[in-house]
Amino acid sequence: MTIENVLLVSGALFAIGAYGAVSRRSLITVIMSLELMFNGVVIAAVGFSRFTPAAELLSGDPLTAEAIRSALTGHVFAIFVTAVAAGEAALAFALVFAMYRATESVEITDASEMKN
Amino acid sequence: MMTIMEVSTLTTIAFWAASAMTLGFAAIVVTQRDVFRAAIALAGSFLGVGILYFILSAEFVGVVQILVYVGAISVLMAFAVMFIQDIASGSRPAQGRLVGAVVAVLIFAALAFTAYNTEWSSMDDITDPVAIAALTEGFVEVGTGDEITILTDVSQGGNDLAIENDGVFVDSTGAIGVMLVRKYMLAFELIGLLLVAALIGGLLLMRDPKSTEEPGPVNGDASV
Repeated sequence: MTIENVLLVSGALFAIGAYGAVSRRSLITVIMSLELMFNGVVIAAVGFSRFTPAAELLSGDPLTAEAIRSALTGHVFAIFVTAVAAGEAALAFALVFAMYRATESVEITDASEMKN
Repeated sequence: MMTIMEVSTLTTIAFWAASAMTLGFAAIVVTQRDVFRAAIALAGSFLGVGILYFILSAEFVGVVQILVYVGAISVLMAFAVMFIQDIASGSRPAQGRLVGAVVAVLIFAALAFTAYNTEWSSMDDITDPVAIAALTEGFVEVGTGDEITILTDVSQGGNDLAIENDGVFVDSTGAIGVMLVRKYMLAFELIGLLLVAALIGGLLLMRDPKSTEEPGPVNGDASV
């Protein structure tokens, strides 16, 4: 397990999500694929946090608690991305329901106009 | 002394097993026609990612992943599938499937090429002895202020714990909490604002259009 392996898994998950986002017709599956892409990105952030040093620890300055804590920047990043993804998922489903009510369909090809 | 980068064989096996689980379920999500089965596979994939976080020593992120993704978003997906009736026809593939596959393979090739052809800086580049001690042998206690305590006394149970957790914080959750309310205070507040906006937006979109006509003025001079 090295940083390269982690990035490989992260890239594979992102690519699978990208394929799903363009190859599926149901909006719900497209949103699922977007969530997979979010997860791929977060794996990369956590992997960097685990395997690469924070710049503050390489600078040679006297060590502070702040510098040690900065080794966890990737984790904080992951939490922010998760929060944004959760808000996005809720809003996206509300939009899908609104579209379903207007057009009786959740197929992406029927979503060519915003007006109902 | 263990180096920071060292990873045991068992951890490596667990890593590849969790990766296989994640990617296998993800492949089911994007190929399965039955949307409900895709939602279940999505929960499995999220769980695999959560296990990956634990293997990468990110306990707090792993717990958040399981709470938010496996717990909340998967249930949201299942509800969405059950609410929408004509989902029984399944999720048919769109016309651009071949193009999508080519694009996905190209994205993956570019990312893998970058990952393997970049000189990533390594944890072994750290030369500061205090930092090395903090990240390998020390049972690091980073207080809320600037004080750092490095306990290397075995009698305090510090060393065993530290070797199991080499390269990481023993108390990562506390350190993340301190970072959230200090260095990333503004982003933290903005995330709260974003979630409230998403909540209100979702409620507004989900409202039944028929019930939005409120009893207005009878003469009807003010209506939109």
